[in-house]
Amino acid sequence: MMSDRQIIELCARHDRKAQQILYDKYSRLLLGVCLRYATDKAEAEDILQDSFLKIFFNIKDYTGSGSFIGWLRKIAVNTSITHYHKNLKYRYHIEIEEYVSVETGVTSFEEDFFTSDELYKVLNELPTGYRMVFNLYAVEGYKHKEIAEMLGIDTNTSKSQYSRAKSVIRDKLEKLGKLKSSYSEND
Amino acid sequence: MKAKEQNISVRDLFRKSLEYAEIIPDATVKSVLMRRVARKEFMRFNPARINIYYLGGIIITGITASVLLFSGSHNSAGQNKSSKPATLNKTDSIIYIEVPVVQPLRKEPVISNIFHKNSISSYKVSQNPEKTQSEFSQADVKQQNAIPPAEINSSLSKNDLFIEAIPDKKKLQSGYRPEEFLIESHDSVGCAPLKVHFNNKSTSYDSCRWTFGDGGFSNEKNPEWIFDIEGEYKVFLDVFRNGQKFASSSSLVTVYPKPQARFEIATENDVATNYEMHFLNYSINAVQFRWDFGDGSASEVFEPGHRYSKFGNYNVRLVAYSEFGCSDSVTLFNALSGSQYFINFPNAFIPNTQGPTGGFYSSKSDEAAQVFHPSYSGVSDYQLKIFSKLGIQIFESNDINIGWDGYNNGQLCEPGVYIWKVRVKFRNGEPFTKMGDVTLLKE
Repeated sequence: MMSDRQIIELCARHDRKAQQILYDKYSRLLLGVCLRYATDKAEAEDILQDSFLKIFFNIKDYTGSGSFIGWLRKIAVNTSITHYHKNLKYRYHIEIEEYVSVETGVTSFEEDFFTSDELYKVLNELPTGYRMVFNLYAVEGYKHKEIAEMLGIDTNTSKSQYSRAKSVIRDKLEKLGKLKSSYSEND
Repeated sequence: MKAKEQNISVRDLFRKSLEYAEIIPDATVKSVLMRRVARKEFMRFNPARINIYYLGGIIITGITASVLLFSGSHNSAGQNKSSKPATLNKTDSIIYIEVPVVQPLRKEPVISNIFHKNSISSYKVSQNPEKTQSEFSQADVKQQNAIPPAEINSSLSKNDLFIEAIPDKKKLQSGYRPEEFLIESHDSVGCAPLKVHFNNKSTSYDSCRWTFGDGGFSNEKNPEWIFDIEGEYKVFLDVFRNGQKFASSSSLVTVYPKPQARFEIATENDVATNYEMHFLNYSINAVQFRWDFGDGSASEVFEPGHRYSKFGNYNVRLVAYSEFGCSDSVTLFNALSGSQYFINFPNAFIPNTQGPTGGFYSSKSDEAAQVFHPSYSGVSDYQLKIFSKLGIQIFESNDINIGWDGYNNGQLCEPGVYIWKVRVKFRNGEPFTKMGDVTLLKE
């Protein structure tokens, strides 16, 4: 096994083998990132390819100070955002009617209850704008202000989209019929 | 407060589950990517990376340019001369006669050779001194502080991958390495579908061909292949150089059959709480089983029985293991739910105007829809209430066999809309509450 350093070193010289090794090592993780931002796997794979092109041709810009995986993830996220902007004009803008909150008495979801496949599916089905904001805020951990700058929207839009995305997600999770709470407790 | 807790948990749920989730990309993604990289790389001229392709490209452009240039001048010369006769043959016949067709053809290679040589020599002159310098200055200087060159050299001898990764130029300088040739495959024994990654460890060749033994083949250097049917496969690798096969090797891949986990719930009893449910095991190729009933209990019996103490959403999961340790799982979501439990109400009825009937009904006796009552299945506890539009309760029944006859204290109610509310408990223990409206019609 080559260390990351050696791979980076060789990739900076555009070594084809090293690029393949880099791909083999990180493509699965990065596809996991891209799939969160895409509507389906095919779209995610497109984003993945674009991300790797960026990685291969800009790897010399990696300073070596931060974590390499973090750098790779950041590129994947940025590529996803670029992709989102590029495709924005081809998509119908779907506005979901105001979500009516339902009192269920459920306070939390159990951590291992949903498989990651199910969670991906929930994300993939979200309207694109919601999905971007939710991912950036909840998973990537950006602030609403940063997200607003990245997506070119208002900070308040980011906040409201996040809370609506969350409601839709919660609704979807409940509809999956996979809540650990039973009806009888409710009655 | 409650809402806030929930928010955090949705966020944590996704972050914990998906932040480092991995998805395996399709195998074609890589090949398409590498093609795109190669294309982009080629378009981007980099003097540090001049190699045989660029050299070839330069020679070819040199030749075509010279040919075009010459044939262009020849054509124009020929045209001039052929057009001249029309105007000049009367005055100047000598020029016309002396146009030789063969001569320029003979000249052509001579001139193109000159161009050819020029392009090479000038290229070489510019290339030789700068090549090594620029290579080191551009690529190495930036990272020299990170990894000293000595370290790279030491790892060269250790690591085969690394040797393959040296640019062609360096190989040429150091001479060819002796042929080392073998197949390296990861995970060549496993459960179907088995994905095997093959590495071609030969170092210099023109092309290679993998034959996977299941009818598939590949020309990639390091292919990935998925064996989806169990069996023993002999994988061959042929390596070609100068159009001739000069080496081949084989490797064995063993794919164990994948078991199939299958089960269903025996239906001789109600699928309900406080009954013992029986599970029928239809698994194939399996010798060991693990059941998870979703309520915290588990079993390793072939066909277990299980009793749920209260109603809930229980996902029953069966994992079946084969003798080779391969496993398959199947999950039945929400095992206690069933379409056999339902209760539905009509939206209108026409009371008997002759007087109260007491609400007794049967599907036969109430063909005229004179009593407001549900159609149902699997109901154990039942309560029906009827309200007027003002919200005053006018009827209540705790017996599913008694519906509302449209009378309140012996008086026929006014035609119009009334509200009903029903609370039931199904036999599987699931509680159910529903409200709706019904229109009382006049005969």
